[in-house]
Amino acid sequence: MRRSLTVLLLACAALLGAVAPAQAHNVLIGSDPEDGASIASGPERITLTFDQPARQGFAQITLTGPDGTRWEEGKTAVDGAKVSVGVRPLGPAGEYVVGYRILSSDGHPVSGKVAFTLTAAGPGSAQPAAAASASAVPAASGAPAQDPARDPAENPGLSAQAAEAAQNGGAGMAVVWIAAALVLLGGATVVAMRRTRERTEAP
Amino acid sequence: MTAVAERAPEAVAVRRLLTGGLVSGALLAVVVATALGAEEAVPGIELPGPVVAYGLPVLRVLLDLAAVAVVGLSLLPKLLGFDEPERTEPVMRRARPMAVSFAWAWALLALTVIVFQTAELNPGSVPTPGMIAEYVDNVGAGQGMLFSAACALAYAGIGLLAVRFGEKVPAELRILVALFGLLPIPVTGHAVDSVWHDPIMISMELHVMGSAAWTGGLLTVMLLVARDRGLLAEVLPRFSRLASLALAVVTLSGLVNGLATIALTPGTALPGSLLTSEYGLLVVAKTVSVALLVPLAAHIRFRLLPRVERQEATAVAAWAAAELTVMGLAYGVAVALTTATIS
Repeated sequence: MRRSLTVLLLACAALLGAVAPAQAHNVLIGSDPEDGASIASGPERITLTFDQPARQGFAQITLTGPDGTRWEEGKTAVDGAKVSVGVRPLGPAGEYVVGYRILSSDGHPVSGKVAFTLTAAGPGSAQPAAAASASAVPAASGAPAQDPARDPAENPGLSAQAAEAAQNGGAGMAVVWIAAALVLLGGATVVAMRRTRERTEAP
Repeated sequence: MTAVAERAPEAVAVRRLLTGGLVSGALLAVVVATALGAEEAVPGIELPGPVVAYGLPVLRVLLDLAAVAVVGLSLLPKLLGFDEPERTEPVMRRARPMAVSFAWAWALLALTVIVFQTAELNPGSVPTPGMIAEYVDNVGAGQGMLFSAACALAYAGIGLLAVRFGEKVPAELRILVALFGLLPIPVTGHAVDSVWHDPIMISMELHVMGSAAWTGGLLTVMLLVARDRGLLAEVLPRFSRLASLALAVVTLSGLVNGLATIALTPGTALPGSLLTSEYGLLVVAKTVSVALLVPLAAHIRFRLLPRVERQEATAVAAWAAAELTVMGLAYGVAVALTTATIS
């Protein structure tokens, strides 16, 4: 009984160590332009505000026009709880849909959309849309590679951790350790299982 | 071996019913919940393909079930007791290699889940080792899975020692390592950002450990002990005490987690969000499954247990199979719950 209690206490001690890293799920609480807004002239940037900071990297915002053309420009920037992207001068009047997919602070992707209506046609033309949408994809997938360096002030703990991990060989080293452990344990499993089978069959 | 051989067809059928109920319940629930709560298509944003969208939750629930089996098999020596090794040792000789195999499954599933989680964040591309390293470096959910895999591997190592040296390897050590491996799993799920964060996380950990002990204990007792009526008469009352405690802990912590998460998330309000949000509906589904478990568990505890103690023939395994199926459903819903949108 006492040994069981020790186990329980140790497990609880481990709990206290393990609770810290869990983070919450980001929720969109506001946007500029607002969802459902009608505006006369196109915004320069689209900014989405979440209830808590989003993770660096993996964030992606797109703006799709009334005829399916794309209007966002440049990379999606994460500044704490605000995630924003530049917008080219908008073209035809109608409904524009902002689509987003960000990495929530709990590590889950969170996606959704916000729509606004442009009441008066702007000066922009849809021509570079193909180029914009083509560049958006590599920008999004390229972003994570640079993110620890891009904004060290944003999450000093994380980037320090990443730097430390990089010094030790990072996840690459962990993979080697895991692979070695797998091989060792796998061999031991095969040997032990064979032996028990022999032992149980022998008598 | 002769006793087993005599009752072999019946025993095999019951074993299929027990594991089949748990696994199919879990898979059914997770696929249905995933289909209902799929990420909505957003114009201009590429979403993960069906292989990742369905593969990840299915792997996650299989991971949970492997961990449940490991926890259950670790608890078995404590439930059997150490006083009569000549009666309990044959059971343990079958349990120990099973525990090692399930620990392997747990570790490999956890590593595969990391690959799928990386793929989920990078839709439209097959994850490269670099992307996976990036993911594990940056995201707590990846580190949690890696820690869980490491614990499962450590368990496999200790389990091998137990296969070789028997109960000289302390049962408590195996229980401890198995529970350690469970700890990071809730970290990969939801939490809320508030002063209540730590209490809610502790309640979540209790929920995970309680449900693993309950489900795993029931599964292993029914699979490995039920055929020996004399042994079952001693083991089931012991397990029953553990199960009553687990039922209380799981119900209470589950309600606390679900309701607190909804109450503390901006843009949601109780009780309305219980029926309007995906998260709320899944919380309701889990509450319903506990409500189904209570009469099943009570039937075993109050009607069948006295007869099991008198070593009479009972349909306890069939009732346990029904209970395990409902538990499987709850596990499936739980996996969907960890990534469901709250608002």
